[in-house]
Parts: sequence; structure tokens; C-alpha cells
Amino acid sequence: MTAVASSIPPEWYLLLAAAVFCIGLFGVLTRRDALYFLMSVELMMNAANINFVAFALYYGDLTGQVFALFVIALAAAEVAIGIGIILVLYRNFGVTDVTVPTEMRW
Amino acid sequence: MVNSLPQVTALLPVLLLGFTGLALLLVDTLRPDTRSNTSMAVVSALGALASLAATVWFVASGTGSGDTGGAILLFADAVKVDTLGLFFTAIFASVTSLVVVAAHDYFHDHPNPATFYSLTLFAATGMSLLAVANSLAVVFVALEMVSLPSYVLVAFLKQNRGSVEAGLKYFLVGALSSAIFLFGISLVYAATGSLMLGEVAGVLGDIASDADGIGSRSGIAGLGIVMILGGVAFKTASVPFHFWAPEAYEGAPAPVSAFLSSASKAAGFVVAFRVFTEAFPVGASLAADINWVLAFGILAAVTMTLGNFAAAVQEEVKRMLAYSSIGHAGYALIGVAALSADGSGNGAVMGAAMAHLLVYGFMNTGAFLFVAMAERWGVGRTFEDYAGLAKRAPVASTAMAVFMFSLAGLPPFAGFFSKYFLFMGAIDNGFLWLAAIGAVNSVISLYYYSRVVKALFIDDPASPTALDTIDVRPTALYAAVVFAAVATVLLLPGFGPVIETAEAAASALF
Repeated sequence: MTAVASSIPPEWYLLLAAAVFCIGLFGVLTRRDALYFLMSVELMMNAANINFVAFALYYGDLTGQVFALFVIALAAAEVAIGIGIILVLYRNFGVTDVTVPTEMRW
Repeated sequence: MVNSLPQVTALLPVLLLGFTGLALLLVDTLRPDTRSNTSMAVVSALGALASLAATVWFVASGTGSGDTGGAILLFADAVKVDTLGLFFTAIFASVTSLVVVAAHDYFHDHPNPATFYSLTLFAATGMSLLAVANSLAVVFVALEMVSLPSYVLVAFLKQNRGSVEAGLKYFLVGALSSAIFLFGISLVYAATGSLMLGEVAGVLGDIASDADGIGSRSGIAGLGIVMILGGVAFKTASVPFHFWAPEAYEGAPAPVSAFLSSASKAAGFVVAFRVFTEAFPVGASLAADINWVLAFGILAAVTMTLGNFAAAVQEEVKRMLAYSSIGHAGYALIGVAALSADGSGNGAVMGAAMAHLLVYGFMNTGAFLFVAMAERWGVGRTFEDYAGLAKRAPVASTAMAVFMFSLAGLPPFAGFFSKYFLFMGAIDNGFLWLAAIGAVNSVISLYYYSRVVKALFIDDPASPTALDTIDVRPTALYAAVVFAAVATVLLLPGFGPVIETAEAAASALF
């Protein structure tokens, strides 16, 4: 539990990550275009990465940094799937607006 | 018995599922002209059954249980094979084999069925890996291994607007909730400095006993735990992340709905059961002012009430089953909601929830596969369209009646025992209010489940020619439905060993 290198207090990283997360969340909730949605989710995942990397340094423990690499790979996989689904959405409905498809009632 | 073998063989059930999926994909890539739906269905069913057999063998021989030297730790303790993990792997493998057999008829004219079988098996691999994860990193990676194939499976009929819409909605909510889940993990890491479940619990205990720690660090950890709870709620289709479920289950191909609502839901519960008992033990969490037990209790009560009331007003059978599956998520949540710090009855109530998920795996999969059969026959989707089906298909209709009564929890079926043990466990642990809400909801559920049985057996078809569209005999679908019904009935005499195994597995967590 010893701080290895902390010229910047850890709280600031938490605030930065929380701000990035909230920007992403705001984008998810307000944007209607599926592509913007993907970008916003990327922001939210990268906010988590900031925490992982910052606290890996704070605790002097590599787990967080390694896990951040895993998260980057998984986020790329998720985007690949997401783009595929958005592509079939566009082919079937002609739009990438997530509010348009309403075949089923809510 | 297994101890003389290399330790990694403890992962045999997971590996069998994964390698079967890879083999299907490989053969399909190398020899695309010899593509055969039947042989691929047979291979994937054999792979899933082999995994099930290995799991049952491991449970029977006590692999990872307290009798044979405790849980088997692999890969620097990131993976932990114990009875809990094997129990859930048995659920996943059973559901997977039923689904791939049924899919043989459902996708009989699909140009490329290999992707369906391999994606289903990959998702099942992720689920069984999730069941043995001992680190939050493995939990997240395995959760994504379940989610990514599931998104594709829901949107599998890419010319069908309903399927694509369902896939989109499932993906949107899923991506959002996995980002929230991940941020929760990052906050727990920030507060505790570890991703291993056991070490997180240790640091949480230190925070609780350190007066200065309560405040900032327990606040960060608490926020992280709430976000992890959100990810669990998505996977189990519980409030507040339940609204994707009716859409996704209704629009998806029916075998995929069966897979998601049974296996994927159980996968969410294995995260809840393991992470919340091993990483955030009740006692330490309460001492650190993090009362997730109450949060789960409220979620359980709201989820079962919402699911059952919404199911009662549906006109389409598939959508009714989707809401009923939300209701059942509420029942199973009692397994984590009715825990107490002293822990005397914790194993009993969580074990009962596990047994309920096993029974639910058969009865709910069977019910969705009956809907798959109705879709294959070309009869409609509403209760009225099912009228009089018992005259044309008596065996399948009887099986459906068994599923409905078992889901409702009527005495002669396995669903009664699992619910009974669950509610009794909750009462013994001092959560009478949860058991009471559950019992009231079960009574409500009888109304809409019996509507299906009434339509099948009592009502007359809308017109004498309404059921003449039934001209196909989907043998494999029939076999899967009948087998699920037989399993639902056989779990009645076989419930003793199941509940004992489940309670022993759950008690090992506390």
C-alpha cells in the first residue's frame, strides 16, 4: 500500500475518470445516432482504463495496467460487433438512428 | 480421482465447449462445400453433452469440494474450480445441448448454420469460464465472452427486421451496462488495489476496521459495488436493466431466446453469487457501510413484482415468457438478497436459488422451444393462435403444460420444490417479507401460465382450418421439448441430491 510515484494526488485521477465517464454517459443518453453511441461507450470504458492505470501506479501493482490492455482489446471487439449490428440495422431500416426501429411495442 | 491428473484438466468442461466451437468453425472454413446442418448440430450437441458428462463426473467425484482438498486454483489463482462453478456449468451445458438440438430444425434452411452453432458454444464457453472466475479481470473478460456472441445470436436473422431491432436494443443496453460494470471494477480496484476476489475481501475488512478508511475509500468501493450490481442486473434481466429483455426475447429466434433467458441469466447469477460472497462478504461490507444486501432485496422485490404483473397483460406467448423470465430473475435474486451477516442460513437460501436456476434451466428452455416449434409450424404468436393445438400436437402440448405448471410452482412439479426451498430459506434467514412477496407473485403467475394451458387444451381454434398450416414434423425440436419435459419431471424424485449439492456448494462460499 505504499505510493510509488504520486506527485499528483490519486483523487485527481478519480475525478478525471469520473468526468470522462459522465461525458460518455451523457452522450449515450442524448445521442440518437448509433455511431455516436459507440463512441460514447468507448469513452466510458476508457474512463475505467484511466482508473486502472493510475491506481496500478499508485499501488505499484502491474495488474491494473495489464487489465487495461485487456479492456482495450475487448472494447475493440465490442465495436466490431457493434458496427456489424449497425450495418444490418442500416440495411433493414435505412437509418442509423436508434429510435427509428419500433417493430415491437415497448 | 482427478487429483492424479494435471490440474488443468479440472477445466475440461470449459475446454470441451470451446474446442467444439472452434472445430465447427474450422471444418466449416476448410470444407465449405460439404456444409451439413445435421452433422454440425450432432457435433455441437455431442460437445455440449460431453461437457455435461465431464461436469457431472467431476461433481460426483468431488472435484474442488471440501472432501478432496478444496477448490482447485489455476493460472495464478485467477481461476477457481469448485462445486459452485461445476454446478452452474452443468446448467449451461444442459441448456446448450437442448438449444443446439432444437436449432437443427429451426435453422433447417439457413445458408450458414455453422456460425450459429459455434457462437452458441462460444457463449457457453464464456459462461462456464465465468462460473470458475476468481478474479474481477476474469469475470469481466468472461462476461464479454458471453455478451459478444449473444448480441450476434439475437440479430442472427439479418433479413428479419424484428431480429435486427432486438439485436440492436440488446447491444445498446449491453454495451452500456458492461461499461458501467467495468467502471465499477475500476473503482473497486482504486479502493482496494487488487482484482482477486479474496484479496478484495481482505482489504474491505481492513477498511471496515479502520476508522479513517470509512469515508473516502469505503465510498469509492461502495460506488464500485453498486455499479457491479448494475452489470449483474443487466445479465440477469433484473430491474433497473430489464427493459431490453422483452424486446430481445421477442425479436430473437426462439432457440436464442431460450438460450439467453435460461443460460445467460444463470451466468449473471453466478457472478452475483461468487463475487458478492467472496469479494464483498456481507459482514465486512456492512461494517464498511455498504449495504448491498438491502439493494438486492429491493431489486428482487421490484423485479418479481414488475415481471409478473407485466406478464399478466401480454397477448403474445413469447413476450409473456420474456416477462415471466424477469419475474423468475426476481425469485432467484432472493438467493443473494436474503443473506445475513451471521451466516447461519446463507448456504441454504443460496443453494435453493441455485437449484431453482437448474430447474428453471429445463422448464424455461422447454417453454421457449415450444414457442420455437410454433414458429416453425407457422401458427401465430398470440394466445388465441395457440387455441386447440393440443388436438394436433398432444405430446408437445402436454410438455408445454408441464413447463407452465412447473414455472408457476404447482406442487407435483420440480418448480414447486425449488421455490419452496427458496422461500423457506428466506424465512429461516429472517426475510419473511421477501418470501411473502415471492409467494404472492407466484399466485399471480398462475393466472397467465394457465392461460397458455387453457388455450392449448380447452379453447377451440379460431377457424376449423386455422391449424392446417401444421404440415411439418420437426423431429429434433420435438425431441428437445420432450427431453426438457422429462427432465422437469425427473427433477422431482431427483431433487434431493440436487439441493444437497447446491447447498454444499453455496455453503463453501461463506
